[in-house]
Amino acid sequence: MTPVAPNGGELSLALLAMGLPLLSFFLVFFVTRPRVTLSCAVSLVCSGLPLLAAIWLLAGHWRMEAPILWELTWMRGGGVAVTFGFLLDPLSLLMLCIVTGVSFLVQVYSLGYMAGDPGKAKYYAFLSLFAWSMISLVLASGLMQLYIFWELVGLSSYLLIGFWHHKFSASQAGKKAFVMTRLGDLGFFLGIIVLLLNLGDLSILGLNQQAATRLTPGLLTASALLIFCGVVGKSAQFPLLTWLPDAMEGPTPVSALLHSATMVAAGVYLVSRLFPFFQGSPQALGWVLVIGTVTMLLSSTMAMVASDIKQVWAYSTVSQLGFMFMGLGAGGYFAGVYHLTTHAAFKALLFLCSGVFIHHYATNDFFVMARSGARSLKVPMLSLTVAGAALSGVWPLAGFFSKETVLSALAELPNPAWLWLGLLGAGLTAYYTFRLLFVMWRPRRTQPPAGHAEHGEGGHHGAAVYWVMAAPLLVLAVLTALLGAAGPALESFLAWGRPLPPGAHHGWLVAASVVVVAAGAGLAWLEFGRAGAAQQGFLSRIPGLWNLFANRWYLDWLYRWLLDHVVYGLFSRLFTLNDRRVVDGGIDGFCRATLGAGWLLSLLQSGLLQYNLFTMVLVMALVGLYFLLV
Amino acid sequence: MTPVMGQYIRPEAVAWAAFILVVGLTFAGALIAVLPRNIIYNVFGLATCILGVAGLFIFLGSEFLAMMEILIYIGAISIAIVFAIMLSQPMHVRIPPAWRPKLYLSFAVSAVVFVSFSVIVLRTPWAVALERSQDWTVKRLGELFLTRYELLFELISLALLVAIIGAIITAAALGGGRKPEGEP
Amino acid sequence: MNSLHTYLFIALVLFCIGLFGLLKRRSLIGMLISVELMLNAVGLNFMAFNRFLAPDPAVGQVAVLFIMGIAAAEAAIALSLILALFRKIRSINVEQARQLKG
Repeated sequence: MTPVAPNGGELSLALLAMGLPLLSFFLVFFVTRPRVTLSCAVSLVCSGLPLLAAIWLLAGHWRMEAPILWELTWMRGGGVAVTFGFLLDPLSLLMLCIVTGVSFLVQVYSLGYMAGDPGKAKYYAFLSLFAWSMISLVLASGLMQLYIFWELVGLSSYLLIGFWHHKFSASQAGKKAFVMTRLGDLGFFLGIIVLLLNLGDLSILGLNQQAATRLTPGLLTASALLIFCGVVGKSAQFPLLTWLPDAMEGPTPVSALLHSATMVAAGVYLVSRLFPFFQGSPQALGWVLVIGTVTMLLSSTMAMVASDIKQVWAYSTVSQLGFMFMGLGAGGYFAGVYHLTTHAAFKALLFLCSGVFIHHYATNDFFVMARSGARSLKVPMLSLTVAGAALSGVWPLAGFFSKETVLSALAELPNPAWLWLGLLGAGLTAYYTFRLLFVMWRPRRTQPPAGHAEHGEGGHHGAAVYWVMAAPLLVLAVLTALLGAAGPALESFLAWGRPLPPGAHHGWLVAASVVVVAAGAGLAWLEFGRAGAAQQGFLSRIPGLWNLFANRWYLDWLYRWLLDHVVYGLFSRLFTLNDRRVVDGGIDGFCRATLGAGWLLSLLQSGLLQYNLFTMVLVMALVGLYFLLV
Repeated sequence: MTPVMGQYIRPEAVAWAAFILVVGLTFAGALIAVLPRNIIYNVFGLATCILGVAGLFIFLGSEFLAMMEILIYIGAISIAIVFAIMLSQPMHVRIPPAWRPKLYLSFAVSAVVFVSFSVIVLRTPWAVALERSQDWTVKRLGELFLTRYELLFELISLALLVAIIGAIITAAALGGGRKPEGEP
Repeated sequence: MNSLHTYLFIALVLFCIGLFGLLKRRSLIGMLISVELMLNAVGLNFMAFNRFLAPDPAVGQVAVLFIMGIAAAEAAIALSLILALFRKIRSINVEQARQLKG
């Protein structure tokens, strides 16, 4: 599949999408920041136009047959060229639409959510920076460019998580996210270096087409696993998953945009982007599958005990990302990408709904929200229900179909255990989602809603603010409902319009997943929904498991232990020793040697005139002799 | 020298005897000037040596220089040294014997210099000038001083003047003693 | 007695005795005396070359006269320095003038 050059329209649209958010960032950050309304307008325009460009491009290339590639050489040396440019193919176009779409909706939503915040203009500048980095990441034509924007995305994530930096926990969470993703990015960078040294070609098309034939299997596996390290960090997979729940310290729209729909999905996008490359190494795909499964199960269990609504969705995000990796690891390219797409819609919706409640009731605890009368907010409540049902996989919503494709990809594997684990995960998902929904719908001890509401975090700003925030919810809810039907069309689009191989249709699989979801939902009904339910999960009767889940499987404790004993106890001590003994000691030794040499030389300066004379006369005599004789 | 004596004593023998006497005076004086620990003996040794050198100057054809040698060295420098001795070193202080290794070292260095300069003297092909004037008169010296070497002559005078003034200032001011009158 | 080498060797012996004294003596006045010996040896050399080699015998004598002048100046300066030193450290022993010791 040889790439073709873009025509003028495609070139300008793509460059527009890549350039406008950056322009907006600079404008807002350096020029219009004191004028909040103007800043918001600039930012909205600069995120709306890329959305239009993305839809236009997607529609115009619905039946595209060859990827469109445009590159400029940034630097060249030793036969290796690092290029900048864009690559338009079905995957990047789809992802571009997701990113620009969610980004635009979140910016609209933030108009209400951040109303009255003193840093609103700065917030929009950071959102624009994020949009620019993410769009450039999605369109990147080479791994080096992708890596640069990958890091920029991490930077904007840090800035946005710590946006309320006067809150200690927020700045800590920002640092944690930055450091933990950096840990993975180190592996990513090493992978890039391995590829650069052994292949000398970092273009995505080149990697996908040639890596499997030009690299030895060992090198291929090593580089794929190293790149997957970066994915593990960015997509919060095991063992680097605890930064994402902490990242919920940021504003809720940020959580919706970065930490559920787009940025954390960048890891999934990268694996899909390099999917043929990963397919060249079955071991690497196996690891993707294992990591995805472990992550999905761990974080589902964590979500079962959380009482903070954003934490629940955060764990759920991690687990759904793990689900996507399971699909990819099982060889289901479409399964991963499709689930990514639907997940972006319904998870953004979930977060935005939660944001409305949080904004309204100034609490993150959904038990408290329910008691304060969350039911009375109709639009968010309905949207939340739709999105929650989609997340658990209820027919006919989007999540049902995408989860179905992932499960059927798992069913193709020779080992049935993966499928059972996938089904277990689906059941757990249904359980924790319906737990939350039932608590919200059927609160105990209802209180009048008005009393609490006036002390909201952002305060009340009337109906206009409410509808600014509700409108994106409706758009996303419609999308969530409709995306399920778009599955076959998307599949053929992603497969370059070629006829699909007739996959084995697992009729029993649909039944199994319906049964599992029903079981999870039923358990939730029994414990939280039915009249007179205690609203206490069965887990609270097993304190050991409860503690394990509530403490995130003691992962943070493990990091602390590793940090204390391995990093501080071993490496830091060695480096300190090296610093003290070798570096400082070397300099001290050099100084001491200089002093000693000076002292030795000073012995020659005895202050005795006649010894100087001895030497002088002797040298003169010998020099005279030398000139005469030689 | 009467003709009668000339029959028995040959002039060459007298010249040889005189030469040996002069050389002996030189070396003996030099050794006395260097070896004894008593500084007064050294001054006398220097004077003796100067006498010998003056004799050698006569053998080398310049009575004027021999006279000047005695005048300057014995009449001026030796006297100045005696004054310095009187002003500085109390004569009754016992001087401790020299440190042996230093003695040997000095001797060795001098020996090396002697050997190497001997080699230089012996190995150099000395060439005699093709045309040689025989004008040894003092008149010729005076002419040279006032014509060709006039600048040098003036410079030497100046140097002597500066040396005398400097010596006075050094001895008077820098020695930690009282400052000369009238100086701030 | 009428050869250049004879006089050169006499001068050399004189020079080496002076050098020996210069290196050995601890008394500064002793060293000054040794330097005078060495200067005399040099003058003797000039006179020897003047007698046996030089085209104009007056030139060598001029040189020796200059040496004598310099020697007189040097003696005056050196003696005054010795006096100054003696006032400072109450000694003219060169081994005790060691302020320049490193």
